[in-house]
Formats: sequence, structure tokens, C-alpha cells
Amino acid sequence: MRATVLLALVSILSWSANATDAADAGTGQWRMPSADYAATRYSALSQITAANAANLRPVWTFSTGVLGGHEGQPLVVGGTMYVVTPWPNVLYAFDLTREGYPLEWKYRPNVDPAAIGESCCDSVNRGATYADGRIVYNLLDGHTVAVDARTGRELWMTRVADLHSGETVTMAPLVVRDRVIVGASGGEFGIYGWIKALDLATGRVLWTAHNIGPDAGMLVRPGVFHPPYVQGSELGLRSWPGETWRHGGAPVWGWLSYDPVLDLLYYGTGNAGPYDADSRAGDNRWTSSVLARRPEDGSLVWAYQFTPHDSWDYDSTGAMLLADLRIAGRPVPALVHFDKNGFAYTLDRRTGRVLVAAPYTEVTWAKSIDLTNGRPVRDPTKQTGASRGNVHGICPSLEGGVSPAAPPAYSPRTHLFYTSTNNFCMDYESWRVSYLRGTPYMGVNSPYSPGPGGHLGAFIAWDAATGRIVWKDDEPFPSWSGALVTAGDVAFYGTTDGWFKAVDARTGKLLYRFKVGSGVVGNPITYRGPDGRQYVALYAGIGGDLALLDGDARSNDPTDVRAPADFAKEIARHTSQGGIVWIFAL
Amino acid sequence: MRNETRGRPRTASGRVRAGITTLLSIAAATGITASRAAPDTHTRTHLSAAGRPAPGLPGATRVNPFNGDPRIATAGAKLFTSMNCDGCHGEDAAGWVGPDLGDGRWRFGGSDTDVFDSIFFGRPKGMPAFGGVLGERGVWVLVTYLRSLKAPADQPTESWPGH
Repeated sequence: MRATVLLALVSILSWSANATDAADAGTGQWRMPSADYAATRYSALSQITAANAANLRPVWTFSTGVLGGHEGQPLVVGGTMYVVTPWPNVLYAFDLTREGYPLEWKYRPNVDPAAIGESCCDSVNRGATYADGRIVYNLLDGHTVAVDARTGRELWMTRVADLHSGETVTMAPLVVRDRVIVGASGGEFGIYGWIKALDLATGRVLWTAHNIGPDAGMLVRPGVFHPPYVQGSELGLRSWPGETWRHGGAPVWGWLSYDPVLDLLYYGTGNAGPYDADSRAGDNRWTSSVLARRPEDGSLVWAYQFTPHDSWDYDSTGAMLLADLRIAGRPVPALVHFDKNGFAYTLDRRTGRVLVAAPYTEVTWAKSIDLTNGRPVRDPTKQTGASRGNVHGICPSLEGGVSPAAPPAYSPRTHLFYTSTNNFCMDYESWRVSYLRGTPYMGVNSPYSPGPGGHLGAFIAWDAATGRIVWKDDEPFPSWSGALVTAGDVAFYGTTDGWFKAVDARTGKLLYRFKVGSGVVGNPITYRGPDGRQYVALYAGIGGDLALLDGDARSNDPTDVRAPADFAKEIARHTSQGGIVWIFAL
Repeated sequence: MRNETRGRPRTASGRVRAGITTLLSIAAATGITASRAAPDTHTRTHLSAAGRPAPGLPGATRVNPFNGDPRIATAGAKLFTSMNCDGCHGEDAAGWVGPDLGDGRWRFGGSDTDVFDSIFFGRPKGMPAFGGVLGERGVWVLVTYLRSLKAPADQPTESWPGH
């Protein structure tokens, strides 16, 4: 009891005293994109339980005025909720201490509309982070900005990405001590993928580390880099023909996590470019990989490639969740990742060595992951490339078994991981393309079809120690929402046909649902309000790939009226665009 | 980034996987001389005071030298792929992050002149200016392809059977 009070006091002090990390799970705030450094999206709040969740009801809504896909999640710091919209990246600050939650301020940066066309997949933003009295987030046109959390005044803005080379920024930054970590999207535009650290106080770029190419650019330093399964120098150079790495992709558009004990920053890299695999023989390191770096100087410590020689657009930008698990009776500091390629991986986060790898959805491109060398055991008939023609029946589709935009959650109470999954497959026909700066560098046609069972999505509970599904709730449409799980043993998510759902974290039983006005591609959060009650917030606002695949879900342009997607003809019956912030409570 | 086939009848002969080499051979076949001049980039819809556009600027009336030539339309389909237009506008220009260009509806007007200006000078929200890399004749090849797409009957109503 005394410890709890002390912890609360420390938390209050740290909020005013500029600490950037705290046991947020205990304070009832939500100050980082994924709740905590371990990216668990777990909250210790427990007022809402499996027994009373049926009494949830909406208590407040707000239209953001923006129609792009509302990925990401709000922040709650003290008595204020912060919401970032898709382009034009408005930042709203709502006063949770007043009736109706009126705005304290809003910040409207001048974001270049040209960025919309340099984005592969809608004008999304995955959220802000809080540190040292600042709200820090990224603008689609390649800037990182810090805003005073109290006044909304702009403190600094730094151009980090080159829009003219197809670099945009959609990811949520993470602050580690005094470093703001950011990365760029552009795996469909032939970028030379990177991650950067900026000084939190000034916005100055402190280091830039590329994810592919020469060791010098990758910040591979002698004696520091120890990948678990390969050895030697220039691994990011020698796994590409010629200079193809220069436009090889490896974007960073997902989620960052950090282990303060090991002092390692973890993140996933995206697909290799172009989509024609024949153009880039070799493993193409370190695309479709997880990288572990020192935040101080960016040094690469280890890297593991989930999909060597990516031939299916299998980005690995999905979240890396850090959890201490018991595997075969032994405690392990683990890193758990649901890859687009259909396998869920449990790694030793000290070394990058794979402990468990098992499919969580239908997988046809590989039979298994060989734990002796970490490599997939491929089905050669599913290998793609310009010389292979149209390759049929590849599962998962290039949207991923889990969309990296939809981060999972982990409960230390149930020891289970919760995630939305997709159940559709693709044909894949690729061809050679030419690099033209600032234009797409792809070359693929990849029509989709429903996977086994006919349902297009699901929400699952996963045991990462053994690699098996514990329970599964099928969804009729693709599932694109992040997960939230709480100490009340309730898991929350949204669906692309517009339902907000609460389910029993132990059984998957549906406890509550509400139709929220647009399909959900954002991530629910929970917090303790100034009145002491527990709230759950999420965005409605279909978009990202979903608004492009289902072009008839859009009604905002009379000159662009599209037919339904052939693999999901019905979804526009249930949703149209529109960003709405929802708050629920008992 | 994902293309989704939606089955518009192809009006150009099958898809071509064209690299720069092919592009250059198309250029030779159609008499295109690639202009390397920096593109004149305009990123706003161009209004003209008193309805009188400045000569030579977007909005001036232009005449397509290849008007309706099916051979040029076929070359334009290849160019549409080799210039990565399909990466944004989708296979057969059926739309992706960029709008559908074959549905008979046009954001910036569907005349030869309007479509030429969209490609040559670019448009807001991310349509790059291709005039600098393609030159006037290359842009006209693309215009000829896009104008050859047979727009389906305009269907403002979408309904679901058994509703």
C-alpha cells in the first residue's frame, strides 16, 4: 500500500519534473504510443472488468474534420488528451477536467499536400509521444515537430525526410532519455531506409543509421555488432547485387520499443524494393528484419531477418513487444513479433536468437522456420519474381497476416498476446521497373481472395511461449485495429466495419460492442480520468490500405467513384470515411 | 502498396513490363525526344482572370498530335507502366492512392488540354510534373492512352443485392 502511494507520488512528480519514463501502466495515463517502452498496450487499470464491461457506454465523441485513415491512438497526460489527425496533421489538446472536454488549443502546421501523393497507402499518422513537457510527432511531409504540451506553442521543427525522394513520415516517435527516435516510410518509392535520433531539447539530428547498405552508413561498429546467425562485415552490402541497395527500401513506419536494462532500442524494417525480387538477388539485409541499436550513438548491436529476400512485400514493421516469459520452464527476456509473413516469433531479446516461431494464420509461402539457422523453409513454388509469371495461392497476402499498423497487446496477468489478424491470400505477378525519383518503385499486381473459412479477419489470443492460438474470434472483414488489454482482464479492439468491441481476455467472449460511425484502423487506449473513473478511447475513421482496397468506402470525391473490391464487396455497406474520437466508460 | 484488379476491360494490348530500355525504344518509335529541361511545376488548379489564360501556361488550348491513334495509345499503355504511373493510379489506371483515370470523371477536367496539363505540370496532393522527363510528345502519348480507355457507363448508384 505504502509502495503504491509512493509510486503515485513519484509519478506525479515525474510528470512535472520532466522524467520521460514512468510506470504509466500504474498511473493511469497514456504517454507513449504503445503505453510503455515494452510496447505492451497493457494497463493496470481494473475498474472495467469482464463482469461489468456490458455496462460500457459512449460518453463523448469529437469529429476531427479529417477523412484520412485514423491509425494511431490518443495520448493522455495529466488532465489533457492529445489527438493527432492524418494529413494535415492537426494536433488537438482536449481539457478532460471540464464538461464536454473543450479544446485547450489546437496546432495546425503547414504540411505540404504533395506528401499525400508520395504516400503509398493513405495519408495516415500513427500518433504522438510525450516527454519533458513536450508533445513530439511527425508530419507526413517529412518533419518532426515538438510542441509545448501546455500551450500548444511550437518549440522546434526539423526536416528529417526528403519528400522528393519518396520519403514520408507516418510513424509515432519514441523518446529514449533525451533522444527522439524517428524513421521514414517509402518502401514503395525506392528509399534508402533509415532511423534517426534527434535531440529532444533542440530537434537537432544526432545520428542517422541506415537499415541497408554499407556498414558505415548502418553504424556497424567493430566488436559491437553480433547478429545471431551470420558473421562477417558488409552484410548489408554483400546481400544485394551491385548498388541495388541504394533504392532497396527498408522503411521504418511501425512501432519502436526499448529495454532500459539492456539499453537496446528495437524496431522492424519494411519490405525490399522493388517488388520484383529478380531485380535484387540475395538476402537483401536488413529489409524485413528486427534491428537492435544503442540509442546513444545508434550502434547496431544485433539484427535478425524474418524474411530473407522478401518476395511478397512482407514488411516487418509490426510492433516488437518485450515481455519476460517462461519458455520450457526457463525465464527468458523475450521479444514477440507477429510478422506480416504469417509467423509469430519469440526471440531472446539479448541476442536476437529465435526461440519459438509458428504460424498464427494460413501460411503457404513457407513450411516452417528452421530454429537452427533462423531461416524460413520455403515452398519454392511460391517464390515470386518477373521470371516466375503470375504466382497463385500465396498466403498471407501482402497486407500481412497482421497489419503492422495494428499493434498487439500483452497481459502479464494472462501471459497472452492479443492481436487482430487477417485471413486472405493473393496471387502475385511482378515485373521489372525503373527507378524514377519521387515515383513508385514497385511493379506488381496482387489480387486478393479470402483464406480458409471465408472470414477475412479475426482477433486472437496467442501463447508466445508455445506458439499456439488460445482462442480466436472470427471477423467477417479484414481486422486492422490495434489491441488493448487491462488488469480487469478485458481486451479491446475495433473492426473495419465499424464496431468497437470488448471481450473477455481469458476466453474471447464478447462482452460489449458499439457501432462507432466508421471502420476502426486505430488503437484503443485506456486511462484514469480526472474524476478517478476508467475510460477507454479510440478513433473511428477507416483508411490506410483499407480505404484504397475498398475504394467505394470513400464518398468525398465526385470524380473518383469506384466499384467494390472483389474480395470484400460488402464492406462499404457498413462504413464510410470520417475521423471520430470516441470515449467509453461504465 | 497494393494493386487490386477490378476487371476493367483492357483497352490496350496486355501489360508490358518495360524498363528504361523499352521506354527509350518507345520514344524512338514515336519520335519522342526526351526533354531534360527542368519541369515547370505548378501545383495549384489554374484559374484565369477574365477567362484568358496566359499563352503557353496551363489552361492554354492544346492540340493532341496523336489524337485517337490506336498505335500511340498502345505505346502509351506501355509508357504508363514504365513511368510508374500504375504505382499510384493502379493497373489499367483503375485507381489506387491516385484517382481512377478511366471512369470518365476528371478532377481537373478531361479535355486533351486538361489531361496534358495534369501530367506535364503536375497537380496538388502529389501528382508530380512529368514534363521535364517526358517532354511534350511523351505526355501526348500518355494522353492518347488515357483518352482511349473506354469509360464504363457512369454509375452513381451502388446497391447491394437483397438489401
